Amino acid sequence: MRTLLALAAVTSLLLVAGRPAFAVKLGIVAFQMSAETHARTANAAKAAAEDKGWEVTLLNSAGSVPDHAAQIENLVQKGVDAILLAMGKPLQAEAQLEAAKAKKIPVVTVMSGTSPHTLFDVTVNEFEVGAKIGVYLLGLLNYQGNILMSRYEGHGGTKIRGRVMDIVLEENTGVKVLGSHSMARTQSWREDVKAGMEALILRHAGQFQAIWASFDGQAFVIDDILQAQGYKKGQVFLTGVDGGQEAFRRIRDPNSLFTATVAIPFELMGEAAVDALDDILAGTPKSDITPGPYLFMDAVLVDANNVPAEGEWPW
Amino acid sequence: MRGLLQRFGTVLAAAVLIAVFAATAPNFAATANLIAILKQASHLAILAIGFTLALVAGELDLSVGQVATLASVVCAALVFAGQPWPVAALAGMAAALACGLANGLCVTRFRIPSLIATLAVGAIATGIAFLVTGGVAYVGRFPPGFVALGRGVVLGVPVLLLWLALLVAAAAFLLKRTRTGAALLAAGEAPEAARLAGIDVPATKLLGLLLASACAGLCGLSLTAALASSSPTIANELLMRTIAAVLLGMTTIEPGRPNLAGTLVGVLVIASLANGLTLLGFPYYLQDIALGLIMLASVGLSASVLKEAAFGGAR
Repeated sequence: MRTLLALAAVTSLLLVAGRPAFAVKLGIVAFQMSAETHARTANAAKAAAEDKGWEVTLLNSAGSVPDHAAQIENLVQKGVDAILLAMGKPLQAEAQLEAAKAKKIPVVTVMSGTSPHTLFDVTVNEFEVGAKIGVYLLGLLNYQGNILMSRYEGHGGTKIRGRVMDIVLEENTGVKVLGSHSMARTQSWREDVKAGMEALILRHAGQFQAIWASFDGQAFVIDDILQAQGYKKGQVFLTGVDGGQEAFRRIRDPNSLFTATVAIPFELMGEAAVDALDDILAGTPKSDITPGPYLFMDAVLVDANNVPAEGEWPW
Repeated sequence: MRGLLQRFGTVLAAAVLIAVFAATAPNFAATANLIAILKQASHLAILAIGFTLALVAGELDLSVGQVATLASVVCAALVFAGQPWPVAALAGMAAALACGLANGLCVTRFRIPSLIATLAVGAIATGIAFLVTGGVAYVGRFPPGFVALGRGVVLGVPVLLLWLALLVAAAAFLLKRTRTGAALLAAGEAPEAARLAGIDVPATKLLGLLLASACAGLCGLSLTAALASSSPTIANELLMRTIAAVLLGMTTIEPGRPNLAGTLVGVLVIASLANGLTLLGFPYYLQDIALGLIMLASVGLSASVLKEAAFGGAR
């Protein structure tokens, strides 16, 4: 009984201690905090909101769609003033977002796609991102040679980058795709990429001059495979998309084959989403922030020429 | 007093937890929020009931999450292929039952321990789920009739809760009022004595595993309807919480044994925790820590009274 009472007392103290009272209550739901890009966005949004003196509840769906929907529902029940989804799944959480809209809780998303129940999505133009890296890579090859591709069709952005690369290749027939691996798994994706790309690299050893990866995480796995197989910098060009300190470190690293990335400003996107919600809560019409369902931000191509120093960013 | 604590220690801890939330978390005790908690708990409860039935028969079914996912993607794939949703739902259930049959045959015919057999069948189910989906989620385009199975409301009561109530009633009736239920208990607790009493132990254990997969199938369909979507990992994350709920349940009502009422208490604790801590503004990492601590405290409390941990720990 004493154990029970002690547990109740400790729990009560913990719960009461965790109740700060601020003006604006913001709920942030990140779909998968173990993914660097999700964490960067959500943590930057949290910091920006706390700078404004807001009370922030930061949740992690851990890659689970049922949890994602339940967390949005819980935030609606909590009566938050606004919700921000980082790489969320608005279509799968349609009923919960509809409930948020019914309670006049504004929802802004970051790189999540759009929904009739959300205001807009802060994102980059993935067609532009795909074109930037695709044309850059072909330029490195002087528009002649063979490449391997590491694709991912399960995410809107990476899928578009792949399709844009297909168009770039259709218009530049001097570059051939020797092999392509399409990543299927999301939770054990590193193993998936490693198995698929290792097989392609071994099969086409000595025949390819570049590898295109749909996002940096894939490129890092491929970089490790190439280094383990004795490839040297410049022997094979390797590109990704996302940007981040690990990407920049590899571009600077003389042993790494990682050549370039398009750096997406996840921190700025998280901050922009919070600023937009601040404006919305202050009464600014959504149409004054962006007329359509997207608020686009610029992504920066980073290679050895403009790679930032450790801890720095290219914007 | 000691006997009461033995039987109801975890229930008491759950009541204290809920009382603390009701007193400290804004809107926790609101009717809409309580309904939201029950709705969120319903998928986990359906899965946990199945897990409990297999455990009553003395078998551990670690495939339930993956089997639920398979049922979900089979149903979704057929809906997207233009099949009527009742046909698709039946096909999803058939896929789940096929997994249950495979589990049962592996355990009873080939004498493979259920821990290993269900892990293997779960892996196969995951493989098929990825084969069906290609790693891509099915979103939207579900007929309203099907979606109503997960989102509908009848006389003010969410349909999900009606399904759950029916399942609880059927499972309770099976375990407490039928010879089959008694056979499941006997096969699980004293298989040799059950055999001598004329019970077909292998067939009974197979039934337990089939029932677990049937519940997993129902969980997969309820998730698909409630979220109007499906993906190749949609229910996989539920396994750990299912085990946690059943483990918590084994500390109460019938301490040391898997039991239906205890499982439902375990599910309620887990769902209330996620909701209550979100309402209090706890960040996700503290929620994980709190869940772990409360599980340890509950099991520890019962173990201290029972002098034995629920899953046969050190005496």
